[in-house]
Amino acid sequence: MTGLLQALALVACAPLLQGAMRSLRARLAGRPGPSLLQPYRDLAKLCGKEALLPDDVSPLVRVAPGIVFGVALTFAATVPFFAAGALEATVDVVALAFLLGLGRFVLTLAALDTRSAFAGMAASREASFGGLVEPALLLALLGAAVSGGGTRFSALSTLPLDAASTLAFAAFALVVLVETARVPIDNQETHYELTMIHEGLLLEYSGAQLALLQAAAYVKQIAFFAVAALLLPGDAWWAHAGWMAALAIAVTLVETALAKLRLFEVPQVLGAAFILAATSIGLHVVGGLG
Amino acid sequence: MSAALRRIGTAALAAVSATAAFLAFLAFSHGATTFGTLAGPIPALDLTVGVLPVAGVFCALLAVLDAALAAWCVRRGRAIETLLLAAFSSAMLLVLCAQSVALFFFGWELCAIVSVFLVATHHERREVRRAAFVYLVFSQAGAACVLVALALLGAHAHSPSFARIAAAAASLPQTTRYAVLGLSLVGFGSKAGLLPLHFWLPRAHPVAPAHASALLSGGMLQIALYALLLVATILAAPAGAAAGIAFIAVGTLTAVGGVVYALVDRDLKRLLAYSSVENAGIVTLALGAAMLLVAKGNPLGAALALTAASFHALNHGLFKGLLFLCAGAVADAEGTVDLERLGGLRRNLPWTAAAMLVACLAAAGLPPLNAFSSEWLTFRSLLQLFALHDEPTGFAALGAIAGLALAGGLAPATFVKVFGIAFLGRARRAPKAEQARERFDTSSLATSGLAACCVALGVFPLVAFAPLARVSAALTGSAPPALPSLPLLPLGLVLLPLLGAAASFALTRSPNNARRTATWTCGSPVTSASQYTSTAFSKPLRRVFSTVLAPAQTRTFGSGESPWFPKHIEYRTENRYLIDEAARRLGALTIRAARRSRVVQSGSLRLYLAYALVAMIVAVGAAAR
Repeated sequence: MTGLLQALALVACAPLLQGAMRSLRARLAGRPGPSLLQPYRDLAKLCGKEALLPDDVSPLVRVAPGIVFGVALTFAATVPFFAAGALEATVDVVALAFLLGLGRFVLTLAALDTRSAFAGMAASREASFGGLVEPALLLALLGAAVSGGGTRFSALSTLPLDAASTLAFAAFALVVLVETARVPIDNQETHYELTMIHEGLLLEYSGAQLALLQAAAYVKQIAFFAVAALLLPGDAWWAHAGWMAALAIAVTLVETALAKLRLFEVPQVLGAAFILAATSIGLHVVGGLG
Repeated sequence: MSAALRRIGTAALAAVSATAAFLAFLAFSHGATTFGTLAGPIPALDLTVGVLPVAGVFCALLAVLDAALAAWCVRRGRAIETLLLAAFSSAMLLVLCAQSVALFFFGWELCAIVSVFLVATHHERREVRRAAFVYLVFSQAGAACVLVALALLGAHAHSPSFARIAAAAASLPQTTRYAVLGLSLVGFGSKAGLLPLHFWLPRAHPVAPAHASALLSGGMLQIALYALLLVATILAAPAGAAAGIAFIAVGTLTAVGGVVYALVDRDLKRLLAYSSVENAGIVTLALGAAMLLVAKGNPLGAALALTAASFHALNHGLFKGLLFLCAGAVADAEGTVDLERLGGLRRNLPWTAAAMLVACLAAAGLPPLNAFSSEWLTFRSLLQLFALHDEPTGFAALGAIAGLALAGGLAPATFVKVFGIAFLGRARRAPKAEQARERFDTSSLATSGLAACCVALGVFPLVAFAPLARVSAALTGSAPPALPSLPLLPLGLVLLPLLGAAASFALTRSPNNARRTATWTCGSPVTSASQYTSTAFSKPLRRVFSTVLAPAQTRTFGSGESPWFPKHIEYRTENRYLIDEAARRLGALTIRAARRSRVVQSGSLRLYLAYALVAMIVAVGAAAR
């Protein structure tokens, strides 16, 4: 029951986190920025709008937003925050990586089905970078799982504070930047189709379907932050919340300080995350192993 | 004539399917069963027929594949191919129920020879003849290794019977054991497409007709893995930690190499063949983990790894058979399997598209399809290796997990490309795209049946997991491994996404709340040329793996009157296949050496007599010493 409540709380706060990061980024850039509640208003407005669909597309385009949102909900229902996740027994870290892969698979197919060159471009990038970030994600979480003693998410909160866990966290932090479409990798606020990755997939969506996809992105983001907070020391809910706030500020600072990477340099970041995670497991193997 | 042949062939396929199903039932319910021995002229040629519990899952796979093929062949393919398929699958069944060296080798050779005919079906094309020739050479070289390995085992046990060999396995000298395992890895592994002996496979499997490719990649590959499993866990058990690490290394290399080549291929059937290579690698690395866990004294963990290996082999056989059959339907309807020329197939082939979507999800290892469960199990098995507190084991496990994660990440990218480019969007330039129509006959039954199997095993993995765990536990001598969260896992995982899909579908049902408009492409018309192509789609990953693939691009501009406004631009990109090149060079060297050695063969009788004399003197001299 508490697990369910916690999932609802995470989902409810997801747009708030997005709003907070957006207005912080605006402040850092010297703009007044939108209100904290702007993402809620955006979602509500989108839900009231008429939806347009490209003609002559397969049902995949119609079901994709629901599947992606369902995947994000499942993710949010798995992560422990103040209680064990409601789906804790069903979804372990390996299953999570594959589940995120399912969401990506369906959304990419839907983009390809719209026949637009922009969507195809975004699909190609999403599939490629997704194909490289998923191994890094798996390896980072498995590195933590090897140190923590189990592939369940609750086992991740009992990590020892050592070099291996630090590297696993570093790898995971890079993964979070990619998965939440943050600046050095992607840009959530771009309106230039040629540089879009995640936004490019959504080009043909509008109305409630777009709202679902955006909400899914917010929920996925807060869930990723929650997992990152889990990897850091501290087991109480306020420690998690504190770490999440710190991470949100850190990510926003990174976004403000760095320029977007050239597209073909992104795989190097993904490769770095992969190597960091592998090194973390390697350290665990060498270090006599707790 | 042809109709009668077809009827005989279909009936034979159905009969083989029924026999295989019966054998699978026997293997699972009665354990090891021996039906009898046909004494040969010398004891080494005794033919013993029986079935081991490990063979059960492979018999079941063969039963399903043959049933699907029987349905497929009622209307599709040529009559003679149907007969060859029946002969091929009975040869595979013979391998599965061979319990003595001679019978096993006979079945193994029969598989090789019958399948060469299938590969060479379109022998009027030069590359087909070449692929068939390379396949034949490889089969025979592999068979020689297999024969030596089996002979070594039989010589040690003083008996050709597998039961005796297994009983004597514990006392095998270490060098013999490693020789046997090494030769099996070469002999059986080359048939399964393990790197670096894989390069014949993506040539030979795709050039056969689709239903034959389905049996080659879905069936034969799994039989080779069965043989590997048989040698590593029964005939030469316990294999030892070093062999386990070697298997893990080869498997990891194969899994990653296979998926990287699959990713960039544009020929649908060759892409599928490379994906077979990948999956053979996954099974091999799980098998290696099992060997390692046995050697390090964790039989329960080893049983889990063995379960993962055999479960993945089963799953791969099912979805790969389905993928090739769908490719066959595409080839029949469109006249090509070139991804650059296919598009929008779901419009003309809705039934095939649905089956293909299931198969692609399965091949990508995504929930709730069957391969997800077995890949998940493989991860779980590999994680156990870390608990052994041993550095070589830990690093082997690290390599395997990294490789498996990479393969698991790149496989979806590959199959998004397959389905998204070929089946979604709009038609491109297939030769017969206009008149392509779905054929609703028994062949649709074949594809939907296989798709149903993939879904059923995905949603209820316990159906396969429980018996496989029992068999694996009996092999490693432990209690059957149990997994608390498995029964609920795939369904629980996708419950919310499925609900979401239903809601989102309902949301856009009536045109009132989802108006249909043209796709937005900055105002230019949406044509099939604006769609992304297969080569363009894989470009980012081609760049990432450029050290392996070494892609070479050439651009030619056909200039008109002005150099600034080219009439057409031709863009060509070629990947390099380093292992294939090395193999080709080695092949050329071998042939040159063979030509040189012809000098000694003058054809003169006196010279041959002189050779005999010299040989005799040397032999006598050596004996006198």
